[in-house]
Amino acid sequence: MVNRLSFIDSFKLNFIDASRWQYILTGLRNTLVISLFAVIVGVVLGFLVAIIRSTHDKTGKLKLLNLVAKVYLTVVRGTPVMVQLLIVYYVIFAAVDINKVLVAILAFGINSGAYVAEIVRSGIMSIDQGQFEAGRSLGLNYRQTMVSIIMPQAFKNILPALANEFIVLLKETSISGYIGLTDLTRGGDIIRSQTYSALLPLVGVAVIYLIMVCFLSYLVGKLERRLRRNER
Amino acid sequence: MNVKDGDVLIDVQGLKKHFGDNQVLDGITTQIRKGEVVAIIGPSGCGKSTFLRSLNLLEVPTGGKILFEGTDITDKSVNVDKMRQKIGMVFQQFNLFPHLTIRKNIMLAPVKLKLMTEEQASKRAEELLARIGLPEKADQYPDMLSGGQKQRVAIARALAMNPDVMLFDEPTSALDPEMVGEVLELMKELADTGMTMVVVTHEMGFAREVATRAIFIDEGKIMEENKPAEFFASPKNPRLKDFLSKVL
Repeated sequence: MVNRLSFIDSFKLNFIDASRWQYILTGLRNTLVISLFAVIVGVVLGFLVAIIRSTHDKTGKLKLLNLVAKVYLTVVRGTPVMVQLLIVYYVIFAAVDINKVLVAILAFGINSGAYVAEIVRSGIMSIDQGQFEAGRSLGLNYRQTMVSIIMPQAFKNILPALANEFIVLLKETSISGYIGLTDLTRGGDIIRSQTYSALLPLVGVAVIYLIMVCFLSYLVGKLERRLRRNER
Repeated sequence: MNVKDGDVLIDVQGLKKHFGDNQVLDGITTQIRKGEVVAIIGPSGCGKSTFLRSLNLLEVPTGGKILFEGTDITDKSVNVDKMRQKIGMVFQQFNLFPHLTIRKNIMLAPVKLKLMTEEQASKRAEELLARIGLPEKADQYPDMLSGGQKQRVAIARALAMNPDVMLFDEPTSALDPEMVGEVLELMKELADTGMTMVVVTHEMGFAREVATRAIFIDEGKIMEENKPAEFFASPKNPRLKDFLSKVL
């Protein structure tokens, strides 16, 4: 008779009884923590790799680092993120007792870094060579030119792509359950397995993801408008 | 180094540059003296822009030497960034920094290179903007300016570094015809203050009236150089004759 329950009864069964809402709350917290720190790891790694790659392209230096960066990009972008997560947990940290959230942060951060790197590199390449020459001709060195002239402009150009990458990352963390971690998706799924009612827990989870993504898009839109002040 | 009027500022010795099999500069030797205004003319693809861009190593020469104030800047051990601080450059496409206000465009290099404080640089920017007749544009962004205004700001930006020489790479070629005059006028004023200038240009009027010397480059070589009066009135090189007959 489960599917004959009224909405209120069903809501009570899935979220109130036995404090099942706590699964959602724990899951949401883990999802947020994993996403936030994975974004940080990804951005740091991505900018680093992008700078190595474009410095190599522009000056011919950093040959070895460029090779390492290329291998990293090929491997990470050429294999599924789920396989990467499983390998990090069951192979690399097999013998170590390590916090699963940390594993997820590392796996998703390393994965995201590869995509961020290519986004940032495309942003750097999108800036006219004349901007670079103008900076250098004033006596700024390579690093000063990149930091003060190229990067601020590149960042503005890549913001939409970067925001998209963060949204993808947030949703990709939903596979964290595969290493036995209670993220938002797994939290909803646990409720489903206890109440045998799929609709509310899963739709509820979906709505929470949607709200997070909408909020993120709103923030990025605001930032984009601020950065566009210098355009007519 | 203290350079007096007439002293050699840039000494170019047998400058060569090739891109793959394409020999763009084929042994250029000349001297730029302090206070000179040198106009470089020639057909497109003759290497005149490459020559100019070699003078501050935006193009790295494949042969020969460039002595700037006595220092061979093609020497790998020389700090090129330090040299470039003394060599202002103005580009055909202006290359203003679109993410910064006009004021910040002018302030950027002196402040980043710790030659001036923020206040000093801001004051200097205002002085320069007054000088080029655009004091009210300080806090606008480059996209709000006309082409001629952009180029004048680009000149001010280069001047903020107090350079010993200014290089101009076809500064009026990207401008609408009605804006060419204001930029040439500013360059003439700059020449009148005694600034050493090397100008790649298609403006024969400017070369004739403002320059103290004209150089004709073709096929990567200097084919003729002379005082503008004789250069235009009685060219000797047949290629220069041909070129002038087409452009004048």
